[in-house]
Amino acid sequence: MLNWIDKRTGFVSMTKDFLTEDVPGGASYWYVFGSATLFAMIVQIVTGIFLTFFYAPSAATAWESTRAIYLNPYTHFLLSVHYWGASAMIALVFLHLLQVLIFGAYKSPRELQWVVGVLLLLVTLVLGLTGYLLPWDMDAYFASQVSLNITGLAPIAGPFIQHIAQGGGGMGTETINRFFGLHVWLMPAALLALVGAHLTIFRHNGPAGPVVEDPRTLKPGRFWPDQMFMDGAFSFIVFVIIVFLAFAAPPYLDAKADPTKFFVPYPAWYFLSLFGLLGLVPPEIHVGPLTISLELIATIIVPTLFLLVVLLLPWLDRSRSRSFAARAGLLWATTIVIIGIVGLTIFGQVTTMIKQAAAPPSPPESVVLSQAEAATVPAGSSGSTAANPAGAKVFSTNCASCHGAQGTGVPGTFPPLAGNPVVTGDANKVIGIVLDGLHGSISVSGQTYNGMMPAWKGTLSNKDVADVVTYIRGSLGSNKASAVTEAQVAGFKP
Amino acid sequence: MSKSNADASDGVHSNALSPQDGDQDETVSRRTFMANATLTIGGVVGLVLAVPIVGSLIPPKNAAAGSWAPLSAQELDELQKATSKPVKLTFTLKYSDAYLPEQSAEQYCWGIKVDPEKFRAARPDIFNQPGGKADVDYSVVNMGFVIFSPICPHLGCYYNWSEAQNRFMCPCHGSQYTFDGTHVAGPAPRGLDPLPFREQSGSAEVTWIVYQSNTPNRIVVSYQA
Repeated sequence: MLNWIDKRTGFVSMTKDFLTEDVPGGASYWYVFGSATLFAMIVQIVTGIFLTFFYAPSAATAWESTRAIYLNPYTHFLLSVHYWGASAMIALVFLHLLQVLIFGAYKSPRELQWVVGVLLLLVTLVLGLTGYLLPWDMDAYFASQVSLNITGLAPIAGPFIQHIAQGGGGMGTETINRFFGLHVWLMPAALLALVGAHLTIFRHNGPAGPVVEDPRTLKPGRFWPDQMFMDGAFSFIVFVIIVFLAFAAPPYLDAKADPTKFFVPYPAWYFLSLFGLLGLVPPEIHVGPLTISLELIATIIVPTLFLLVVLLLPWLDRSRSRSFAARAGLLWATTIVIIGIVGLTIFGQVTTMIKQAAAPPSPPESVVLSQAEAATVPAGSSGSTAANPAGAKVFSTNCASCHGAQGTGVPGTFPPLAGNPVVTGDANKVIGIVLDGLHGSISVSGQTYNGMMPAWKGTLSNKDVADVVTYIRGSLGSNKASAVTEAQVAGFKP
Repeated sequence: MSKSNADASDGVHSNALSPQDGDQDETVSRRTFMANATLTIGGVVGLVLAVPIVGSLIPPKNAAAGSWAPLSAQELDELQKATSKPVKLTFTLKYSDAYLPEQSAEQYCWGIKVDPEKFRAARPDIFNQPGGKADVDYSVVNMGFVIFSPICPHLGCYYNWSEAQNRFMCPCHGSQYTFDGTHVAGPAPRGLDPLPFREQSGSAEVTWIVYQSNTPNRIVVSYQA
């Protein structure tokens, strides 16, 4: 049977040829990182393809379809694997690069394989960056806003590239569509083409093998099954970690992107070092009459120069020998750079956490996932805000995501506030619900609601509570109940 | 350092797919194990991904029932006066579509004025259950009317009433139905499908149902557009 197919297609002998490869000095666990990166890429392609069955790229549907992906356990798992698979792939690319760097495997005749590899790293980072926007939640929006504005800082072409990437002057549906096209088509196509080139060049030159004086003395080992087994075993460990994290720490969906709200975005971990660098320097310094933008240096010039050094490494490190002793300078420099990157990453993480601790908290995910169409009610259509702007602001920031901008609620989950006799009834009871929250099933005007109201005591000040209770009692819908004072809130007794 | 894993006995490697080519027995069994283990790993990974992929593709069950949409009082009046001519009744169909906000669309159905006994006799394809019960779980004749879904039971086109032929005619594949929805010509497997219909505060309301096309029996597919 195999023979019959092979005679007509050559597939079987091609596979044999592909698997037959000398591994100088024998198979080794040192060589697994490239294969594991390829494995992670396949996981990303498979999960990514099926995620496109459920995702719809537009400002009106991106967050909504992502929310639907979160609500279905199967798609949620695929999304979580895709999320952690991205991290795994980037981590493995870095490990692979580091291994090649330490072994000096980029030296002649493998310079172009190194260059293609660095391009692959870039494409992978662009994939991470474009994928980050797609859920269109608060974090996706503001993190992408930051990266797009950094792009705009670049001299000469920066503003133009930003304009093209955004699809206009600001972020919106066009941006989602463009990032989607980049993320699911252009970048994966570039990735596959570059991987093809990377592997073809690899087969042309063969593996570099261990660092020895005379490679001709090395006994050849086998790729299949010896090296393949090690690659497979390591890839499997990577997969188990991805699946474990997908279950134990799935990604978090924040509220739908709202450009009018305050939010501290957090970059993906692989951009934290750049973020840390940006946080470390003042925006600009003055040297005599000159104003130097350190922001530009930190976000554009330093990373670009660093990338150029990495890209041109085969021509910068010209020593013929791959031995560690002959390349001690380079290895020390590499160590210092790694320590620097790790340090900046930690610094970036800590500063992000400090900023986030000071910012208003994101709603719990259970609330985000159950808030239904609240976010689709057009902003500015809420009740009469003129009489009580402070209360209206507290309401739109904290309450509207569940109860709706006009206080119409969500059937079965969050009760309406407009026309709700409890809201316009005993003021003390309303204050109590806002301060202490509400659990379990309740009945309003014959309808049952079974959502969860968080306790706002500690989050909102007494004045905020008084303002917002006054607002919902007096301004939502046709509600016309009495105002509540700060003293009433302070003196609340259950 | 990478030499540590090199296989000392390995000198020949002509046939990559079958490890048993002249090596010592121990090496052969080790190679076979590694080959099988590698393939097993591939299988396990494939399975762990295949289960959620297949699971995710199975769509959720449809909503239990559709909402009632009011018919225009003026058109109902027209139907009341109609004798042997069907009346097109328009209404606004509200429906949900996955995660999109509630959708609404202008929709219509066909109303006919009937004598319940005559209609029952004319439509054995509806009243085909034991005891002459209908194959739908609502009463077909209400207020002396029957309301038909505008969708041809053959392959889902919208049919028209032909004044000249005195028949409902489907433009797609030529199915024809009499005034009371009896299938008389063309490829359709059953007569026109009745829709649930009820009196409500002086006027009337209809519920939308889509039935499986091209089956002799009426199988509810969805309550959506």
